[in-house]
Amino acid sequence: MAKYTITLIPGEGTGPEILKAVERVVNAADVGIEWDYQDIGMECLDKYGTLLPEKTIESIAKNKIAIKGPTTTPIGGGHKSANVTLRKVFDLYANVRPAMSIPAIKRPWNNINILSFRENTEDSYAAIEHMVSTEVAQCLKIITWPGSLRIAEFAFKWAKAHGRKRMTCVHKANIMKMTDGLFLNAFREVAKKYPEMESDDIIVDNCTMQLVRDPSRFDCLVLPNLYGDIVTDLLAGMVGGLGFAPGANIGDNCAIFEAVHGSAPKYAGQNKVNPSAVLNSAIMMLKWIGEEAAAIKIDRAMQEVLAEGKHVTYDVGGTAGTDEYASAIIEKMETIIKESGEGI
Amino acid sequence: MNKDKNPNTQLVGVDVYIITKDGIPCFDYYGAFKCEFISNRGTKVWPGFVSPDLLLVDWYRCRFTVTGDIEDEDVDAFLAKLSEKWLWSGVQKLWRYDGEPGYSKPY
Repeated sequence: MAKYTITLIPGEGTGPEILKAVERVVNAADVGIEWDYQDIGMECLDKYGTLLPEKTIESIAKNKIAIKGPTTTPIGGGHKSANVTLRKVFDLYANVRPAMSIPAIKRPWNNINILSFRENTEDSYAAIEHMVSTEVAQCLKIITWPGSLRIAEFAFKWAKAHGRKRMTCVHKANIMKMTDGLFLNAFREVAKKYPEMESDDIIVDNCTMQLVRDPSRFDCLVLPNLYGDIVTDLLAGMVGGLGFAPGANIGDNCAIFEAVHGSAPKYAGQNKVNPSAVLNSAIMMLKWIGEEAAAIKIDRAMQEVLAEGKHVTYDVGGTAGTDEYASAIIEKMETIIKESGEGI
Repeated sequence: MNKDKNPNTQLVGVDVYIITKDGIPCFDYYGAFKCEFISNRGTKVWPGFVSPDLLLVDWYRCRFTVTGDIEDEDVDAFLAKLSEKWLWSGVQKLWRYDGEPGYSKPY
């Protein structure tokens, strides 16, 4: 009997082939997961009349944990983001995005180990926009005291549990004194409860400059939604690109793990794209459910396959397809198990 | 919307930002002004599914729309009546420009 039932949402574009590869790798780690397959995105519009079907919502509400492929969101008009809708519906207020240098991927920086906590539900993502005249559009930036307190609390708690030492609040409170000022004040309030951790703050534009100059000066970041979106993509690019960047969206009773990249529809069905981002998200998911050994096993196998470079995807200089890369990781896991004699 | 010419502008309702610590507002009858949705921090909290985990603050965006033509005087009268019971922090008129909504929907 399966130990866990987890909602699996393949997503759109390259999502289904990525999730198929990830499912194979996770199944090979043998942790006893039963997958509850659900839909999201444009195809659901014809089938169910909505991007986010009720049955998908019910599945996540029941299982409390999901892994999701990318979805497509039109720019400038059309339907709202299914991703953001999911975060809102389940109030997944903490977006956790680790950025760690990958030894096999050469970048100007090789010393990055930064954990980012992005507030995931507020800011200019509150969808309060108006054309207030024929020449002027406005978007309300919503920052709340309880929303800011809980992301700061979540960040400190997670960081402390994972042995982190320093938390930096990223803001623009010199200009947005009310909104970002509130976020910063909430951070300072929470920081008092964690005297064992260092805490400081930095203005977002300076933060981006300091990150590319010397990322080693940062340990953990906590950011409002929009800055978090931008800064974490910067960090993803610094460590290996969006093809490797995992993300977890976590609320008080539910968690959804997903890649941070888009659905890359032009590559859909070509068995070409790198599934590492969702695989890294699956590793985070396994740790979240307490299957640390399986998470480490997959991570080690993936790092070794990347280091060997024989079965890697085009974005990291290889010619392997999505399937071949996944198969190489599974084979490597089996080798690791045999060599260790006990499965790590 | 084509910004190079003057579009046909139609007033179709208002977003009213209501402050209350008593939970999701429940409105009386306001004639032609019908409440279409209520959102909190950008998430729809009425009608439909609301996660029991959802963080609610004391500030609700309440969209009232009208079928048919309305004038500023109708909005003034509606707000006067609404003010008898509710404290509101702001109002945003909702216009359609050449038939296209100049306002967003909540999540």
